[in-house]
Amino acid sequence: MYQQIVDQITARVMAGDWLPGQALPSIRELAADSGVSVITVKRAYEELERAGLIATRQGKGSVVAEQPEQARALLVDALTQSLAAAVAHATRLGLTRPALHARLEQVLDASETPATHHEGPKS
Amino acid sequence: MMAAFAVSGLCKRYPHFALQEVTLSLTEGEVMGLVGVNGAGKTTLLRLLTGIAAADAGSVEVLGHRLPQAQVTAKREIGFASEDMRLYRSQSLDWHIAMMRRIYPGWDDAYAASLVHRFDLRPQQTLGGYSHGQRVKALLLLCLARRPRLLLLDEPTTGLDPVARAEVLEALADVLRDERRSVLFSSHNSHDVEQLADRIAFLHGGRLIAHADKERFLDDWRRLLCLGSVPPALSSWPELAQVRHAGSQVEVKVRRWSEDLPARLSAAGLSVQRVDPMSLEDIFVTSVRAGGVA
Amino acid sequence: MKLAMNIPLIRLLVIKDWQLFQKPLAAHVLAGLFALGLLGLARPWAFYLGSLLLIVVLVAGSCFAVSTSLLEERKQQTLAFVMSLPVSPLDFTVAKLAGGLLTFGVPFMVLLLGTVVVILSTPLPDGLLVYSLLIYGHVLLAYCISLAVAMQVQSEGWNIFAMIASNLLVNPLIMLLGQIDAISVPARGEDIVWSLPAVAILSAQLLLSLCTLAFTAWWHGRKAAFY
Repeated sequence: MYQQIVDQITARVMAGDWLPGQALPSIRELAADSGVSVITVKRAYEELERAGLIATRQGKGSVVAEQPEQARALLVDALTQSLAAAVAHATRLGLTRPALHARLEQVLDASETPATHHEGPKS
Repeated sequence: MMAAFAVSGLCKRYPHFALQEVTLSLTEGEVMGLVGVNGAGKTTLLRLLTGIAAADAGSVEVLGHRLPQAQVTAKREIGFASEDMRLYRSQSLDWHIAMMRRIYPGWDDAYAASLVHRFDLRPQQTLGGYSHGQRVKALLLLCLARRPRLLLLDEPTTGLDPVARAEVLEALADVLRDERRSVLFSSHNSHDVEQLADRIAFLHGGRLIAHADKERFLDDWRRLLCLGSVPPALSSWPELAQVRHAGSQVEVKVRRWSEDLPARLSAAGLSVQRVDPMSLEDIFVTSVRAGGVA
Repeated sequence: MKLAMNIPLIRLLVIKDWQLFQKPLAAHVLAGLFALGLLGLARPWAFYLGSLLLIVVLVAGSCFAVSTSLLEERKQQTLAFVMSLPVSPLDFTVAKLAGGLLTFGVPFMVLLLGTVVVILSTPLPDGLLVYSLLIYGHVLLAYCISLAVAMQVQSEGWNIFAMIASNLLVNPLIMLLGQIDAISVPARGEDIVWSLPAVAILSAQLLLSLCTLAFTAWWHGRKAAFY
C-alpha cells in the first residue's frame, strides 16, 4: 500500500512539481489529504529517504533531496524489475527473443499516440 | 506518550455471548481498525470503552480515566457513534446541533457547517425524512464537530452507498491532521479499515485473535503458489497458516514471511511459482480459520 | 458513593423531553379542559360523560408520558444516543424522573387546578373536591408505578401490563370510596370534609408515589454503568 505513495511522490518530483530543497507536506497532512493512514505515509517517507530521494531533518519535516537523479535511479530500478517480470512471463509462454522484441514494439506503438498529447509538467 | 485507551483482561458475559480476556491499547494520535464479523464482540468492546457497559473482569482506562466510574468526564472527550444509535426523528439536524453545542465546550460551529455542506444535508428538515445514509452522516457530524480526543465508531460505513461511504471516509481522514486525536472504528468490512488504520485488531467469537501495525500485517503475510506434492511435515511449520492443494498446485498462506522461505520450501519438495501480498480481508479470514495464532 | 450529578446536562435532557412532547401534551390538556367544561354544566348526563372523559384523558396522558419518554426512546434507539452523552446512570435516571414528572406533571396540575376551580365555582357540590383529589391521587400513584416499571423492565409486554393494571385500579378505588360513608356522603354536600379515611388514603397515595420514585432513583443511581 505504501508503494502507491512512494510512486506518487516519485512521479511528482520527476515532473518537477516538487523541486530539490522544497519542503514536503508533513506526514499527517499528506495522510489526511490522500485519505491514507499515517503509518502508511510514514513507511513511504522512510522508503524514499532510504532511496535518497528525500531528506528528513529531525523536527523539521522532510524536503526533496538535492540530487534529483535519485528519482531517476528509482525509476530505472522499477523499469528493470518490470522488464525482468516481462521476461519471466515470456519464458513461461515459451516466446522466442524475436517474438518478445516484436511484442515490445507493439506495446511501444500503442503507447505512442497518447504520448503526443502529453502536456508536460506545470510550471 | 499517552494511551488513548488501554484495556486489560477484559471480560463481559451476556446470556449468549462473552467477550473474553481482551487486552488491547491504542497510542494517542493513532487510528485503529477493529475487524470482525457480526457478533464478534465489536459493539460490546466499544460500549465498554465508553463506560456505558461495565466489565465483569479486567480494567478499562480511556484518555487517562478509569471506566465506568469516570464515564462522565471521559465521555466529554469521546465521540461515540454506533450502528444501533438513532437520533430524534421528529427533530431537525439544527435542533441536535444546538443540543451538542450546549453539551460540548469544544463544539466547532464552523466545522459543523462545513460538514453539513460536505455531507449535503438539509439542517432544517426533520430527521424522519432523512435516508439511512443521511442519518448516519448526521450522527457522524455530531461526533466529529465536537472535536473529540477519541472517536469510537461502530460500523460507520455499514449500509452506505459508495458515494456516502467515500464522504464518510474522507471526513474521517480529516482527523489524521491532529496528532492528539485517536480513532477506533469497527467494521465487518476490512476494505474500509485497510485505508485509514495504523493498527488493526481482529476480533472473533469474543476473542482478540490478532493485533498489529497494519504495515506489519501486510509485510508478514504472503500467499504462495507452489508446484509439487505437500510434504507431511509442513503442517508443523509455525509460519504457515494454511496449506491447500488442487492437483499439483499448492497454495500456501504464510503468516510470517521471510526471504528464505522459498528456498526452504523447495528443499522440502515444493517449488514456489508466485509470491503475492495478501489483502487484509484474506489475512483476516485465514487467521480466523487457522485459529488465530498471530 | 459520591452524589456528584451533572446538573446542566440533566436540565438539558429534561428540556429535551419537554420539547419532544409539548405538542401532544397540549392536546391532552385541551381534551381535559373540554371534559372539565362538561363537568361544569352540572347536569347528570354531562357530569357522567365529563368525569369519564376526564379520567380517560388523565390515564391516557400518564401512559403517553411513560411510553414516549422511556419505551419509545428504547424502541427508537435514541436511548443509545443519550447514553453516549456525558451522563452517568444516576444523571440519566434523575433526568428521566424529572422529565417524566414535568411532562406528566404539568398537564396533571393544570387539570387538577381546573377541577378545583370547576367544583368550587359551579353548582356542583363543593364536597366533591375531596373525592376528586383522591381520584387524582390514584392517577399520580399509577403513573409513578408505571414509570418505575418502565425504567426497570425492558419487556414491552410487562410495561403495558403495569400501565393498564395500575390505572384500571381506579375502578375498585371508586367503588371503595362509594362504600366509605365518611367520604361518599360529604361528596354530595356543600361542605368540604377531610375525614380520617380520606386523609389516610391520600397520604398513602402520596407516600407510595414518593417511595416508588425514591427507590427507582436509588436503584439506578448506585450502578456505575448502564449495562
